[in-house]
Amino acid sequence: MAKRLVVRLDLCIGCRACEAACRSRFKGEARIRYAEVSETVSVPMPCRHCEDALCAAACPFKVIVRDEQRGVVRQASFHCVGCRSCMLACPFGVIDTELLRDVSQKCSLCSDRPEGPRCATTCPTGALQFVEEEKLAEKKAGVGFAVRSVHGRRL
Amino acid sequence: MSAVRTTCPFCLNGCESIVTFDYQFRMEYPLDAPVNKGRLCPRGNSASIVVDHPKRLAYPLLDGKEVGWDQAMQYCREAMAGARPEETAVVYSRGLTEAEVRLAWGFAHAVGTRNLVCGYVEPDNCFQYRLADVKDATIEQVMAARTTLLVGDLFSTSPVAAGPVLEARYADRKNRLIVIDSIRTRQAGQAHAFLQVRPGTEAFTLLGMAGSLDKGLSIDVEQCAAVSGVSGKQLADAAQMLLNGPSFVGSAMHLGRVYYPVQHSLMSQLVAAKAGATFMGFGEARVPLGRTGFQEFRQQAESGSLKTLFWFGGMYPCSYPELMPELSRIALRVTTSIFRPETGVPGLVLPVPSELEKESVGHSCWGEVSRHPVAAVCNGARPLVRVLGELAIVTELPVEPSPEVSVREAVDMTLAALSGHRQAPVASGLCLLGEKRASGIGGFYDAEDEIRLSAPDAARLGVGNGEYVRVESATGAAEFHARVTAAVPEGALSIGVNAHRNRALFPLEKDTTSGKTVIAPAQVQVAKSATTSKPAVEMIARAG
Repeated sequence: MAKRLVVRLDLCIGCRACEAACRSRFKGEARIRYAEVSETVSVPMPCRHCEDALCAAACPFKVIVRDEQRGVVRQASFHCVGCRSCMLACPFGVIDTELLRDVSQKCSLCSDRPEGPRCATTCPTGALQFVEEEKLAEKKAGVGFAVRSVHGRRL
Repeated sequence: MSAVRTTCPFCLNGCESIVTFDYQFRMEYPLDAPVNKGRLCPRGNSASIVVDHPKRLAYPLLDGKEVGWDQAMQYCREAMAGARPEETAVVYSRGLTEAEVRLAWGFAHAVGTRNLVCGYVEPDNCFQYRLADVKDATIEQVMAARTTLLVGDLFSTSPVAAGPVLEARYADRKNRLIVIDSIRTRQAGQAHAFLQVRPGTEAFTLLGMAGSLDKGLSIDVEQCAAVSGVSGKQLADAAQMLLNGPSFVGSAMHLGRVYYPVQHSLMSQLVAAKAGATFMGFGEARVPLGRTGFQEFRQQAESGSLKTLFWFGGMYPCSYPELMPELSRIALRVTTSIFRPETGVPGLVLPVPSELEKESVGHSCWGEVSRHPVAAVCNGARPLVRVLGELAIVTELPVEPSPEVSVREAVDMTLAALSGHRQAPVASGLCLLGEKRASGIGGFYDAEDEIRLSAPDAARLGVGNGEYVRVESATGAAEFHARVTAAVPEGALSIGVNAHRNRALFPLEKDTTSGKTVIAPAQVQVAKSATTSKPAVEMIARAG
C-alpha cells in the first residue's frame, strides 16, 4: 500500500533530527533538506516522490523510475553516471550529489526498513509522519497546520 | 552484526535507542521505549560518532608527550605518595557514571583530603538545588497539562522532551503555553504568551510571578518586572494563566544565558509550588555537588596552596585550559580525557572510555535507567575502575544528597541578587548570549561559526548577512559570520556554545549571592572584520 511522508508545520521545532537520522544512515550525507521560513518557523524538505517526477523524466539512462505500486521514485545508483540532470530538474532542490562518489543521491523512503523512513520515526515532535495515502484526506494531512484557527497559529 | 539496546547518555531525558554495528554504527529506533517512543534528537542520532571519533585519545600524555601506561601509573603513584591531604584536590565532572563518582569520593577519602570538588559547572547542574514540597512531573502529567510554562529554551536542549509539551499544547484549543526567554526562539514561536525578558533575568521574572501568586511573600512585583524588562501586568497575567490547572513548569538553562543559575532553578520551582504545578528541570547531567565548592577550589589554586590535583571526567581543564590559568600553579596534575586535548595540557592526561563504552545504572528526569556498552573499550583507554584498582583504591563511598532549600532562603537569595543586579548590556560593549542546541549533525559538533545579531546593532557595526565580525571578550577572541535576525534583542548577540572555541569566550565568574561559579552572558567588544571569505574549517568525523 502506498504511503506518504507528510509534514505538520506547526509541530516542527527546527531541531534537524530528521537530517541527523538520514546522515547517520547514508554515510554522512543527508537526503532530506531543511529550510528556515522565519526565525521561529522552519520546515523539513524531504523528497516529494512526485507522481510525474521531473527527476525521472530528466534522467537520460532511466536510472530514476517511479514505483507506481508503492508510490516511490527510486534510483538505482549503480547505473548513475553523475550527470546531475536530476539535480537540475528537481523543482524542490532535494536531490544532491554524493561528495565521495559523485553520483546523485536520492531519498528512497528508507526502502530497506519495513517500519518506514528513519526521519519520520526519529522526529521528536511528530512533525514528519509516514501515513497511508488513503488516510491523507481523513487526517487532513499534507503540508499544513495542526490547528485550523488562526488564533492557535504560531507567532 | 551486533545490536545493543541502550539509553542515550547525552542528556537526562533518558531516550532509548538500539545501536547496531556491521561495518559502521547505525541507529535503530525502539518504538516501545516508554520515554521517547523511538524518537531521537540529532545528538542521539549521532551518538555513536564518539566511539570511533578520529580525535579519540589512545595513549597517556605526560606534558603533551605520549608515554606508556606503566610510566603513567608510576607518575600517579608518585603524585599520591608525595601529596599532603591539605595540598591535594580531587575533582570529578561530567562523563562519569554514578558508580564512578562514588569511586572518586572513595579516592578522596583514601587520600584523606576534604577538597572534593564537583567540576561540572554548567548552569543546568544547579537544578539539583531543590525547593521543599515541589512535585516532580511525570511524562503523563506533562502531556495532560492544560497550562505549560517553559523557562529557557527547552526545545533546543532536549528536543525529544518537546514532543509531550507540544502534544499538550495542541490537545485542546483552550490549552496554553507560556514561554519566558531572552531570545525569540522557535519554542517562543509556539507560545500563546511570550515574555521576552532582558538577558539573564529570568529568575526575577519568576520571582515577580510567584509574588503575584502569593501576596504573603511580600515581593515588589513592579520592581521585578522593571528589572526583567516586561510589565507588571504581563507577569500577573502569565501567573494567572498557570492557575488554570493541571499545569506544568519546565525549566532549562544554557551556558552563557543566565546570571544566577541557582536562583533560576529555585524560582522556577517556587512558581510551580505556588501555582500547584508539577516541575521538571531539564539538563545534561546531574553530577553530585562535592564537599568543597568549585569557587573555593579556584581560590585555593590561585593562592598556590594546592600542590596536587586529580581530575576525573571530562570538561575542564582538558577542554579549555585557557579559562583556568590558576591551574598552572599546581605542580602535579592527573586528568582524564576521551579526546585529544586541543591545546597542550601540562601534567598527565589519561585516556578513558566514553559513556557509550561503559555499563551503568543511573537516573534520568523520568526515573532510573540502565546503559549498556555499544562498543568495546577504545584501544589504549582504561576505565577509571581499573586505573584506581591498580592504585589499590576500590572503595565506593555514598555521595551526599543535594541540598534542599526553604522558600524563605530561596526568596532572600533572589532578592539579594535583584538588589545587586547590574544591568546588561553596558554602554561600552554588547552582551554575548549562548545558545545550546542538541546538535551533532555533521561532525561531532557543527562548526558553529555563525553569530546572530539584531538589525540596529548590525547597522551600527556596518555589517550585513554573511559578513565577518570579530568578537573579543575578557578570555578570548573569535571571528564569526554575521546573521541579522529579529530573534535577538538589541544590545545582544548569540552564538552556539557546543564548540569549545565559542565556550572559551565566556569567562568564569563568581555569583556572590549563591557562591557558585557561573558562566554568565559575557560583555564583548565587537567590530567588523577584514575577513571576507570563510576560513578553512578542519574536516572532522562525518556521521556513520
